[in-house]
Amino acid sequence: MKHKCQWGIALFLLVSLIVATGCQQGSDSKTIKIGHAVSLTGDNSVFGQSESTGLKIGVEELNKKGGILGKQVEVVTVDTRGDPAETVNAVRRLVDQEKVIAVLGPSNSGPAMSATPIVTAGKVPLIATAASNPYVTADKQGGIHKYVFRVCFIDTYQGLVDAEFAYDRLKARKAAVLYDVGSDYSQWLAKYFEDAFIKKGGVIVAKEAYRTGELDFRAPLGKIKETNPDLLFLPLTQKDAALAAKQSRDLGIKSTLLGGDNWASPDLLTLAGPAIEGAYFSNSASLDDPRVKGWITTHEKQFSGPIVRNALLVNDALLWLADAMKRANSTDGDKIVAALEATKDLPVMTTDKFTIDPKTHDPLNRPAYFSKIQGGKFVFVEEYAAK
Amino acid sequence: MFLQTLITGIAIGGIYALMAVGYSLVFSILNFSNFAHGVVIMLGAYIGYYTCEWFHAPVLVAMVGAMIGTAVIAVIVEKLAYRPLRLKHAVPLYFMISAMGAAIFLENLVYVTVGAHFFSYPAFLQQSVQIGQSNLGLLDIGALSLAAVAITCLTLFLSKAKLGVAIRAAARDMTVLGTLGVNIDMLLAVVFSIAGLFAGMAGVFLGIKYLVYPTMGWITNKAYIAAVIGGIGSLPGSVVGGIILGVVESFVSVYLTTALRDVFSFTFLIVLLLFRPSGLFGKTLDEKV
Repeated sequence: MKHKCQWGIALFLLVSLIVATGCQQGSDSKTIKIGHAVSLTGDNSVFGQSESTGLKIGVEELNKKGGILGKQVEVVTVDTRGDPAETVNAVRRLVDQEKVIAVLGPSNSGPAMSATPIVTAGKVPLIATAASNPYVTADKQGGIHKYVFRVCFIDTYQGLVDAEFAYDRLKARKAAVLYDVGSDYSQWLAKYFEDAFIKKGGVIVAKEAYRTGELDFRAPLGKIKETNPDLLFLPLTQKDAALAAKQSRDLGIKSTLLGGDNWASPDLLTLAGPAIEGAYFSNSASLDDPRVKGWITTHEKQFSGPIVRNALLVNDALLWLADAMKRANSTDGDKIVAALEATKDLPVMTTDKFTIDPKTHDPLNRPAYFSKIQGGKFVFVEEYAAK
Repeated sequence: MFLQTLITGIAIGGIYALMAVGYSLVFSILNFSNFAHGVVIMLGAYIGYYTCEWFHAPVLVAMVGAMIGTAVIAVIVEKLAYRPLRLKHAVPLYFMISAMGAAIFLENLVYVTVGAHFFSYPAFLQQSVQIGQSNLGLLDIGALSLAAVAITCLTLFLSKAKLGVAIRAAARDMTVLGTLGVNIDMLLAVVFSIAGLFAGMAGVFLGIKYLVYPTMGWITNKAYIAAVIGGIGSLPGSVVGGIILGVVESFVSVYLTTALRDVFSFTFLIVLLLFRPSGLFGKTLDEKV
């Protein structure tokens, strides 16, 4: 009797699995399937969760207006965990199993770069949301990845404006840098800042590194303290920046702190406390922009966490994709790519004139937005375009 | 610079030592690598954090609460993940696999219930003391002192108390001890609750010094290295190992390279093991037989 029961259960499970998989695979031609590769868990989850909710809201509004090409839009979300290896699996699922028309995200540079070979092989266009490393769209031989685009600025630009801001606005002449060797974003942004700062006439007095996952930066910060810099550049995630800020103040470092767009989450304030007071950072989108303030106020309650730049950028990406598909009048990957490349002066969420450079697949004329931490809050300082 | 580096190294080493002691205790009794130790430390940090948040308790009270909580969790993990294997006389490898499974399960449980956000403890002992050009954090002094006190108490317990003697006997030969009429299940519950107490203490210190987040348990990889350096199975060894690891890391970071620090630290470990395979204070193979 026992044997028959066991076989019966096993057979039942097998059949259910097959039926379940079969149901998923059925290509539903009544909807447009868009994949969203986002970091729902892991160190970047604050940004990812905000982006995911932002996209849901954007898709709802789009569907109310009739969707794309007369069909409703369906989003398939996969968790990249902010990890390049995990992203490969996640995007592979989107492209091979779910057979999505396009992929939005990832928002981190490392994972975005690891997704490139998969979307290229599958001929599926990908629009990265906040991934700012130049090599997301550009390949190392001087060409571009045909199927990859982005809506935010790139780090060569961010490093440049950070250096200019440090030199011209903050009057810094000696800068020190602390970066994460395990993060493509951090390493390259540190380099671009360094190059630009030296070009302006400044001096980099110290450049120290740590490995991702490290919690204690006192050793590299001790070395930095010895060089007595005016400014400490921290191209890090908000979590590492908070720890670095606290520890540098503990060690008695008095330099002004400057960071990049990965600081832009309110939990930086709760994690760092008074240590981050008086620091500045650059961002790829501004929550204070009058264009988006109305949207933020209307939808604030639908977000379980804070609204960050990703929620705005993903809507830029969605509107851009929808417009491109309309112009291409097709769901074919190559046709959508051609339409994406030919985008000029398109009104999206954060700007009225979104123009893409077909040679780089990066947007043209995206300024940086600088904010200061004052009184325990983010205070908008200025919209800054590089000279 | 030298003094600051030394101070930084000893401060980090104290935390490594605290993590290593609980881990080493379990290893010496059950002879397997308790990979679930890290996740219990993480849970300790969370319990302490929520005790502060919900009951507005002072941090020290939260630490006691966390220690009790992790002691209970450690015993539950033993009963569910290890005891069934122990009764079937499984090889140590299976215990390690079960430990990993428990760790992944508990970590993801936190992800699903609490979420992946980072939390910060209320400010506690944030000030530092100036010693010449160097700064020494009060929190670090507190952690080291508490670690020293706790480990001394544990050593006294193991040498003087009847239960402590029984635990040391179990490390020699658990089967024979069973035949002498000692209740092994209860004994192991005591061992794991002690390991859990240390884990809770370490978790709260880590949470105060840095942050609270679901993957913080994996910092115990450093604890395993510290325990190996000091000699697996030796409690004073794990303390010494922790401090040595902290100091080596600190000096390598400052005087050699920050980016390749771990390369040098692990090379040091390998060289040490080549000359002393059982670590600094570890029992040699003859004794174990």
